[in-house]
Amino acid sequence: MTKKFMPVFTMILVLAFILTACATPTAAPVATEAPAADATEAPVATEAAPEPVTIVLWTKEGEADGGLQYVQGLADAFTALYPNVTFEVVNKEVETLREDFQTSSLAGDPPSLLWTVSDHAGPFTTAGLIQPVDELFDMSKYVESVVMNGSTWAVPISSGNHLMLLYNKSMVPTPPATTDEFVEVAKSLTSGDVYGFAYNQTEPFFANPWLGGFGGSVFAEDGVTPTLNTPEMVATMQFLYDIKYATPIMPLESDYNGADTLFKEGKAAMLINGDWSLAGYKEALGDNFGVAPMPEVSSTGMMPAPMTSGVYFMIPVDLAGAELDAVKMFVEFVTNLENQTSMVTTLARLPGSIEALSIDAITSDPILKASSEAMTYGTPMPTVIEMRCVWDSWKPEMISMLASASGTTPEDAAANMQAAAETCIGQLE
Amino acid sequence: MITSDVILKSLNEVGVTVLYVLGGTVVIEFILWLLLVRLLKWRYAMPFMLLTPALIGLLVLVVYPLVWEANLSFMNMSLKHFRNPIYIGFDNYIRVFKEPVLKQIYFFPLLGQTVLWTAINITFHVVIGMVLALLLNRQMRGKGIYRMLLIIPWAVPQVIAVLAWRGEFHYEFGFVNIMLKALGFQPLQWLSEPVANFAAMCITNIWLGIPFMMVILLGGLQSIAGEYYEAAEIDGANAWQRFWKVTFPLMKPVSTPAIILGTVWTFNNFNVPFFINQNELETSDILVTGLFRAAFQYNRYSFAAAFAFVIFAILVTYSIVYLRSSGALKGVRD
Repeated sequence: MTKKFMPVFTMILVLAFILTACATPTAAPVATEAPAADATEAPVATEAAPEPVTIVLWTKEGEADGGLQYVQGLADAFTALYPNVTFEVVNKEVETLREDFQTSSLAGDPPSLLWTVSDHAGPFTTAGLIQPVDELFDMSKYVESVVMNGSTWAVPISSGNHLMLLYNKSMVPTPPATTDEFVEVAKSLTSGDVYGFAYNQTEPFFANPWLGGFGGSVFAEDGVTPTLNTPEMVATMQFLYDIKYATPIMPLESDYNGADTLFKEGKAAMLINGDWSLAGYKEALGDNFGVAPMPEVSSTGMMPAPMTSGVYFMIPVDLAGAELDAVKMFVEFVTNLENQTSMVTTLARLPGSIEALSIDAITSDPILKASSEAMTYGTPMPTVIEMRCVWDSWKPEMISMLASASGTTPEDAAANMQAAAETCIGQLE
Repeated sequence: MITSDVILKSLNEVGVTVLYVLGGTVVIEFILWLLLVRLLKWRYAMPFMLLTPALIGLLVLVVYPLVWEANLSFMNMSLKHFRNPIYIGFDNYIRVFKEPVLKQIYFFPLLGQTVLWTAINITFHVVIGMVLALLLNRQMRGKGIYRMLLIIPWAVPQVIAVLAWRGEFHYEFGFVNIMLKALGFQPLQWLSEPVANFAAMCITNIWLGIPFMMVILLGGLQSIAGEYYEAAEIDGANAWQRFWKVTFPLMKPVSTPAIILGTVWTFNNFNVPFFINQNELETSDILVTGLFRAAFQYNRYSFAAAFAFVIFAILVTYSIVYLRSSGALKGVRD
């Protein structure tokens, strides 16, 4: 029986491959919430209809907060304007995007366009994987971008990417102004499976604002020498340890998703998260959702300093010809006033074009207004390749120190992360 | 979301590749036929023609990457020398032993962690696998159902199983901590506390690895003729003596290759240590995850290539020593 059917089955399989190989893919589905893309408004850089190309766009935007749907909507809207240009939008987690772009560039098959964070510019420019954009766009129309070695390497889509204090108004009517007040409020709310506070304990990016609040910074004045073994870093680590064990006001273990879920479910009263998450919380908590700058560090009287950057377009170094022309038109399309306004209202993010910074949607929205205020305390994210070493060295030491049984003291952690960062920078050669 | 469009597109891409492979094979076989059968009339033309597609596949997919990797290991390729690396001789091989291979940890402590990880896992795989195989190798009701249930971990794709386990080790929402709390114990920080994380890795891999060992050992047990046990019983051997003096030695031809395979797989297991160690604790890294981080997270491409050859040398040495000392391939050589 089986023997009889094997040739038939094989034939069917081969036929299926041949048929699918010859099939033309059907048109991409239209996004449910397409961004503003009025057919009457052509992109600024319209010269002529572009040649038929497919743009492979890698984006760090995920589905959970609607970012990926927004990007897909933009791509669909652009294709509706220029049917010759089709898109393959691929979502990749931030670090995966960096690793995969490096690997695919090495293999000679990079995507056509990246939609990613600024700190990727360091490794990408060092390895010579992206091209400068000064000659391609009028950069005076955009907020400050990634400038290194006298060239601009990215086009801003949104600005900010900064962390802030998010709170549930039904539990915390007024946001705390100082860390003493913050700990007191959080402590009074922590009971059973409800916590006063939650944050992503596994990523140093989320601990970094406190370092600024204690008066420290990751680099010396030269911008490349790590300064992690300092009293300010020890104080930061001690503070994080204390709010976990001494007070305690938060779960013993929580990563990004864990903290996010607790806050959305009303099981965490306060959270530290970035501007990319605002739209999702607005939807989950409605009017109970509040935003404020992180509280001033009581012992120093200084405000925490989240790193600010934004989300950017980066263009692979070898992209040229019709594909580059189409990419240029798409970048201008995404950053025109109408689509930037649409991004502000859809994703609750601050725009990357200067013109869009003064729109009503920002000045009249309390959440965006508070987000803008929080951004004023920020410090620009270093884009040098050495920053990668700082993150990679900081992370394991911080996690080890925050694990109760590890026995790593804040002093040990600071000393170890400095040593690791120096080793890493030495290994870059 | 996987829509029909996505499926069609994927099939399209796979279909084109399969057609290229099929077309290429036909062309090569035709050329060989013309050359070897029609022109040279070689008597081994047919076997050679049959072997050629596999040979080409191996050359392209195994030999070429190995040669490329060996070449890379003598260069200085990193982010700073991404497009124009130069040859630096054996420097990378020396660095593997002299510098931290990750951020803090050196080669030998990492090797120690790997050996510990392998030893713990293989011990549990063999002991529990043997116990279960012995339990299944007797008359009992519902044997098929038990066997099927015990094989399930093997049937689940490894990455899926590991990610599911990682979810179960979540401090707040994971099943393991919920159970611990219900039993009156303190919950553990499975994902961030070094010892607990190493234990979590071992638990996951032991669960995943037992079915393989159990099935192999069960096959071995079933091949032992009943006469040996009857003879041992007549001689007055008790159950333990029967196991130790009859089962154990007769299982050696089956258990030795299984243990070697299990050791090499565990030593090189990437999925479990990488995904359970979500927080990148160096205390939970083993050689292969360290290798991956060196290459793709820390961008030390040439260093990682040298590191890979060092790991390869360790495994080859282990396999040769184990095969020689156990005499498992004696029958093959004779």
